[in-house]
Amino acid sequence: MAKSTRRTQLDNAVLTPLDWFEERTGLVGGVKYLLFRNVPRDTNWMQTLGAATLTAFLVQATTGVFLAMYYKPDPNSAYESIQNITNHVTLGWLVRGMHKWGASLFIILMFLHMARTFLFGAYKYPRELNWIIGVLLLVTGMAEGFTGYLLPWDQTAYWATVVGININATAPIAGPFIAQFLQGGSQIGPDVLAKFYSLHMLVIPGAIMAMIVLHMYLVIRLGVTSPPWSPVAAGRKRDVEAPAGFGEYREGLIREHAEEREHAGEEA
Amino acid sequence: MAGKLEQEKRAEFKRYKADVKKEGKPFFPYAVFHDTIMSLVVVGVIIGLAVIWKNTDILGPLYQAKADPGTTNFVPRPDWFFYFLFYLLRVFKWPETVVLGTVGVPTLCIVLLIGLPFFDRRPERTVLRRPVAMVAAILVVISMGVLTWKGATAKEALGSETVSLVPTWAAKQGFAGDPVAVAGATLFAQSGCLNCHSYLGTGSHNLGAPDLSAEGSKGRGIAWQIAHLTNPSSKTPGSPMPSFAALGVENLTKIATFLEASKGPKS
Repeated sequence: MAKSTRRTQLDNAVLTPLDWFEERTGLVGGVKYLLFRNVPRDTNWMQTLGAATLTAFLVQATTGVFLAMYYKPDPNSAYESIQNITNHVTLGWLVRGMHKWGASLFIILMFLHMARTFLFGAYKYPRELNWIIGVLLLVTGMAEGFTGYLLPWDQTAYWATVVGININATAPIAGPFIAQFLQGGSQIGPDVLAKFYSLHMLVIPGAIMAMIVLHMYLVIRLGVTSPPWSPVAAGRKRDVEAPAGFGEYREGLIREHAEEREHAGEEA
Repeated sequence: MAGKLEQEKRAEFKRYKADVKKEGKPFFPYAVFHDTIMSLVVVGVIIGLAVIWKNTDILGPLYQAKADPGTTNFVPRPDWFFYFLFYLLRVFKWPETVVLGTVGVPTLCIVLLIGLPFFDRRPERTVLRRPVAMVAAILVVISMGVLTWKGATAKEALGSETVSLVPTWAAKQGFAGDPVAVAGATLFAQSGCLNCHSYLGTGSHNLGAPDLSAEGSKGRGIAWQIAHLTNPSSKTPGSPMPSFAALGVENLTKIATFLEASKGPKS
């Protein structure tokens, strides 16, 4: 059957450029695999916490870029530049508020995501390395919290940082050197703000982004775990009965049709 | 030869891949749909918090006072998600053990977290068949929760709040008629003394610092107090208390007068 005119137009408009791009990069196939790869059918709501954490990070990155356009990392003008952002820049209060509260949400979601992983035993073979990357993401995420806290240059922030750096200095061997580097001398000085700013918006976020890419690569490569209580958990020996107390069927996030369920029962 | 456990794990993962391929559902649109809803909720909550923060006082003020490195009124309060570490320092009251709270416990926690997959090597994922892991996790969650709560409700760090207690102190100790002692009490409240010392039930017991409610009954005298504030370890060897010489002799005299006027509550 000859193609309709409409179909030909569609081919020319969408598929031809996609083919052109695929031929030169191979990325279309990659994205296709990413989107249409299978995940366990009993994947549930708790497993959206990773995506939620990523979203919170992206909110931080986006609002951070806009804040960096107006913020001045200098002890003499930092505090005033924050006031300017809050009171004068269009929607500045919203961007600053989202960055401030997004930070808390990001930390909470990281902990919840970790708790989910722990509950599911998803740190076990073969996902050990991804657990370790996750722990490092948690530590660097909290380092973002520590360095960002100083930037408004208010009393609470300043003195909390002084104490924080002093605590750092009590660490054996490297502690005093790190503390001296951070405060730019034997006492906390004006350089500390620029240092924290650089760490907060270049060094640590760079590390976090690189680790997120690795983290997601491993998730895609190894797949996500089924909930351990699911009787249709991927990887469970089907001839072994589900553990007592987890007998009744729980529909996962991705539901199957009733007849499919019956069919699966016949096979087993 | 790979051990039995290793073979079992590999077999399970092989089954997992086969099961997912055979019975799984495509990431798009199923998982993407739920991830998107969750992400929208996250963004919504963040925007909601920002709006509430701007328009009400529930979430605290938009600004604190500007940082002043010259002040002695230090308010070392970290962001809330560090409260558990902040309060952990209280648990270690003795000078020799403080390093355990600052470095020891956090380092141990990170090492344990990173090492988790290597000392919990069984392939078992079922919640009820991992009693040790579950009990340990619950204990960690409870202790972090308690430490965060204690850190959030700890009062001593807020110099601005303790200043309001000065009239009460003056009435209880009977130095309300002595303006020098009252000025000293205000300086005492502002200078972070209560981060380590306690006074009439306010403050904390950090780093082994003594209660000062009845410091004046020890008969040490104003000169001793000034010398001690200037260089604590000259009077009490090995004291971890920092020097307050930066306050100046005049201010130190006021604080010393206040301390000497604190003979312990009369009622």
